[in-house]
Amino acid sequence: MGSAIHAERLGKVYRHSVKGVPALDGLSLDVPTGGVYGLIGRNGAGKTTFIRIAATQLEPTSGRLDVLGENVQGGERKIRARIACVPQESRPLYFLRVEEVIYLYLKMRGLEPAEARRRTKAALDELSLTEYAKRLVSRLSGGLRRRTLCAMVLASDADVMFLDEPTTGLDPIARREVWQAIRRASREHRTIVLTTHYLDEAEQLSGRLALIERGQLVLEGSPGDLRGRVRYPYRVTLQGGFTHAELESYGQVSDVEGGYLVFTREAEARDLAKVALERGARLSMGPVSLEDIFLDVVGKSIDSDGDAETAEEAA
Amino acid sequence: MSERHRLRSLLTLVQLNGIIPIRTQPLYLLNLLASPLSFLFFITVISHGSLLAYGVTGGMVLTMLSVGTGLQSDLTHYRHDLKFQDVVVASPVEAPVYVAGMAFSELVYSLPGIGVFVVILAADGLASAEACVVLAGVMLLVWGFATALAFTLATYFEDVRETFMFSPLISLGLTVLPPVYYPLSALPGWAQVIARFSPTTYAASLAQGATGLQPLSTGQALLDWTVLVTFTAALFLIAAVKARWKEP
Repeated sequence: MGSAIHAERLGKVYRHSVKGVPALDGLSLDVPTGGVYGLIGRNGAGKTTFIRIAATQLEPTSGRLDVLGENVQGGERKIRARIACVPQESRPLYFLRVEEVIYLYLKMRGLEPAEARRRTKAALDELSLTEYAKRLVSRLSGGLRRRTLCAMVLASDADVMFLDEPTTGLDPIARREVWQAIRRASREHRTIVLTTHYLDEAEQLSGRLALIERGQLVLEGSPGDLRGRVRYPYRVTLQGGFTHAELESYGQVSDVEGGYLVFTREAEARDLAKVALERGARLSMGPVSLEDIFLDVVGKSIDSDGDAETAEEAA
Repeated sequence: MSERHRLRSLLTLVQLNGIIPIRTQPLYLLNLLASPLSFLFFITVISHGSLLAYGVTGGMVLTMLSVGTGLQSDLTHYRHDLKFQDVVVASPVEAPVYVAGMAFSELVYSLPGIGVFVVILAADGLASAEACVVLAGVMLLVWGFATALAFTLATYFEDVRETFMFSPLISLGLTVLPPVYYPLSALPGWAQVIARFSPTTYAASLAQGATGLQPLSTGQALLDWTVLVTFTAALFLIAAVKARWKEP
């Protein structure tokens, strides 16, 4: 299976960038055809800039980016015929009804009215929006507006769909409905490029993940691959029975409320479990989460702001 | 995209930005009529009805210019606040189709106003077939340059609030100071020279000539058409060069 997207030393410096900080700094990656590809990173890491360049909305400063075999500089027309995008912070037109948002978007893309109507109905059903179909967007909650945009783009059935933080503001149930629709679309051999702040979402949905920091690719692979590449693939939480100093021989230790969190390797985790049982300490153990991996690789939480954000905002 | 698909996209944009908002909120139509009708009211009352026709031809020009300022606000709002333009860019809809669709959609708002003015002109006995043809041509050109100006300015605006600041200034510079509501001869000599830099001066001259309010020689009419067409073409050229579909 070939690449839907191929980026080679992609660079972007916004014209009004503070101190010329690049939003993308020689980013190279391949997004395989079919499936969900997750882009994760802190605010300002360069995820949105990458999506905007790939969706032909923004010119790169250097490097090359091909989408579906066409260069984004020169091949825009061919690319645009086969892509769809939910931009970050986008909102549907407030004077439309929910069903009109989807139906008119599909008609604008050139679909026959009958086909646009059929797909609109299917998208409304799939994202549990049927009961809101006749409601004006201006009377919807922020979450329902976001869900309407997701339904609109997923109904397009485009070969590559870009979803930039599609579930921000959705409640857990609505998020799962969007996940279901994304999974359905990816099963039909569509390629979905997704950025998200919710690492559980990225892990649940993505066949492959790219971790971006300061405009560069830091880590790439399936969630399982990423776990295999960190120093400590297991996390153990302990309450009682140990001192901080004792635990340091097992791996990386941090104090947490009422106990300790230890990042460790498989053999050390087993030893630690054995000793903990002997001492009657309370213990829970499992593979590291994506959040743990992020913290280990980047050294900062995903919720902290990145340096390039100022450059992106200033543009 | 085939021609049929392009036409469907264009008509969908007209429906989306022109017809549906009016269905949702019919007051949009009155909003566009408010300023031209206010001027018409004052002019008619103060002149005891003798300058009513100036109020009508001026109102028609102002209505078409208001289409441009409305478009400017919509484009800025859709680009920055709703990210609608980004959604459209990442789709098969081409830039000229979006431009034409949005421009025609704004025209929908002006049609009732233009209809009202034509009825008043007809009631006043000034709407001959020949005058209607000239007026239609002039209004199309005013709509054309107002649209091109809107696309160019919307490229530079970062927030819809900036359009609120510029729109009254554009109206002032193109419809109040130039002789749109009165004959050019009413201005002092030096002001006439300045007024000739505004395309609306030529539009008003043609409209006033067609309705018999002012004498218009063939030579002057030819000059007016030439300037108006050239100005519109130049603004479209600037819009094509400056307006951004893909961000640099």
